[in-house]
Amino acid sequence: MTSGELDPLIHVPTRLKIVATLAALPDGDALSFTRLQDMIGLTPGNLIIHLRKLEDADYISSEKTRNGAVSITTVALTGHGRAALGTYTRALRDLLGGLPI
Amino acid sequence: MNHTPDTTTAGNGGNFDPQQAAALLDQTTRQARRTFTPGPPLLWAFRAVFVLVAFGGYWLSVRGRDPYSAPSGGLLAVIFVLVAINIGWSTWALKRAGAGVSGPAQRKRQAWLAVMLVAWIVAYAFTVPLYHATATHPVWALYPANAPLMIVGLVAAATAALRRDWPMAGTTLAIAIVAAVAAFGGPAGAWLIMGIGLCAVCLGTAAFKVWQQRRGVVRP
Repeated sequence: MTSGELDPLIHVPTRLKIVATLAALPDGDALSFTRLQDMIGLTPGNLIIHLRKLEDADYISSEKTRNGAVSITTVALTGHGRAALGTYTRALRDLLGGLPI
Repeated sequence: MNHTPDTTTAGNGGNFDPQQAAALLDQTTRQARRTFTPGPPLLWAFRAVFVLVAFGGYWLSVRGRDPYSAPSGGLLAVIFVLVAINIGWSTWALKRAGAGVSGPAQRKRQAWLAVMLVAWIVAYAFTVPLYHATATHPVWALYPANAPLMIVGLVAAATAALRRDWPMAGTTLAIAIVAAVAAFGGPAGAWLIMGIGLCAVCLGTAAFKVWQQRRGVVRP
């Protein structure tokens, strides 16, 4: 196996951080955009670009709710995204299996 | 929080090699686990000291007294301060872990906390009718030492098991077992057994939390 076989959608530092952060939540739970931004350390614009790519692939889902005058966006990892991260992790393990760590 | 430099913006992986990816995945997962954990290891370590000081101090204060009598006011003041710190720290840790998080698991956790609050109140409120019924000194000493934590421990273990939160179910069941065993220690000895037993449970939970948070995804 080569690094070229790793899921190109996840194999990007920022998107890997997003997916790994959301995967630490229990299945079905969502994280607010602002908290995710705070944890990842990205500008809103940059984070939106990466989230859109992941959402297009159905790895994450986002929801916008209104609480009075405040609009809150939440992001969650889908079952498909969790499975993709699992496959990516196994592929990484296989790749690194023969290498000194 | 330490951030690994982002070598790309919105593009592809570029020169992101698998070793870097594994390190980043492990580091991010550990940070996220630490952030979302409502009971950090340090809080459990504090609880270990708290129960040892509170229950151990209580035992030192009441042992050898015949007839059994209440401990000194100074010790009770120390215990109340420790209880207040524990409640304050726990509330802060819960708020921090749950900030920005929503969904079914979060709602179940909030419902569980409400059930636990009721269990605590009911378990300690029972001391009021005991007092009015002029309970004997041994009963008065044994009930507050063991019964509330036995009741709360069993309720917490059952409800945590329903949520499939097995670590919490294990910890709270261990607390209930310690409380049940301590009852055999008598009015004074029960406090010592509770102090040592609960201290061991809290230290064990702290060690488990450290292991859980440090465990890697790619490299366990």
